[in-house]
Amino acid sequence: MIGDVLQFIGVFVSFSIAYVGFRGVRQTHSSSLLRLTAAFVFLGFGFAVEGFVGLSQVIPNLPFSTMTVVAGLLLETTGYFFLAFSHAIDVVISKRMSVALLIFPVISLSGAQLVDILSVLSFYFVLYGVLETVYSYARTRRPDTLLIAAGLTLIGVGTFVQWLSLLYLNVDVLSLLQIIMKEIGLLILFTPVLNFAVGGVRLDGTV
Amino acid sequence: MVQYRTQVRIIADVLSTARDMNTEGNGVGVTTLLRKGNMSYTRMSKLLSELVGSGLLLELNGEKVSKYMISEKGTRYLSVYHQFEDFAQSFGLRL
Repeated sequence: MIGDVLQFIGVFVSFSIAYVGFRGVRQTHSSSLLRLTAAFVFLGFGFAVEGFVGLSQVIPNLPFSTMTVVAGLLLETTGYFFLAFSHAIDVVISKRMSVALLIFPVISLSGAQLVDILSVLSFYFVLYGVLETVYSYARTRRPDTLLIAAGLTLIGVGTFVQWLSLLYLNVDVLSLLQIIMKEIGLLILFTPVLNFAVGGVRLDGTV
Repeated sequence: MVQYRTQVRIIADVLSTARDMNTEGNGVGVTTLLRKGNMSYTRMSKLLSELVGSGLLLELNGEKVSKYMISEKGTRYLSVYHQFEDFAQSFGLRL
């Protein structure tokens, strides 16, 4: 139950970041911000579906099937893909690195179930996002970039624990742990939104 | 490593040059914009007419050559651009 409520915090944070990103797209027509917005829209819907699926175990009248669980995970994985993709086309050298990283999980996943595949893919996408963000920090030395890298690391570890929770279904604590880690990670990602609101530009994009 | 400037970044660079190099208040010439903008004359000409058309730059017609000055709308655009650039950089991205 606590885990399901926490999913909705993820929904709020994801849509808040997506909202600021969307305002940025409208104001600057930036493709980087468009990909970032797409990532958090997918993540937001993914967390929403997963949250409702979780609530359906408490409220029996909510009609959700196994395919809904897969749909939620698919949305979340797509969000992480766009997050990785934002970095992947940022610089030329990253294109080569990204191809290597995006092919690797496909090779390593033969015979796994769909849910497992999505969880592992999410893990690789977030891992790639972490590497690129740390690399970006090395270039810019911006403390908030390091903070985002820390947030993404927590989300990455959370997705890894999520995968473990699917392998070890009898260990209940893993499921709650992965949600808590992902939510703390997402709350850290919320920092730029707060800075943005405080820093002189209102959320409607005007100065 | 090669890093390409996006169109948004190029526009911001041109607007910044038009603002910062306009020390005497009578606008900035194409030569200065070309030197600072690091692009071909053809591309710069096309971009300048787009920026003038969208109201981000003001074209001051002199006797021999046109000069350019950032408009109020352009200044506002730059301010918003820097805020969103800050936001994107937090995520390790470039505008």
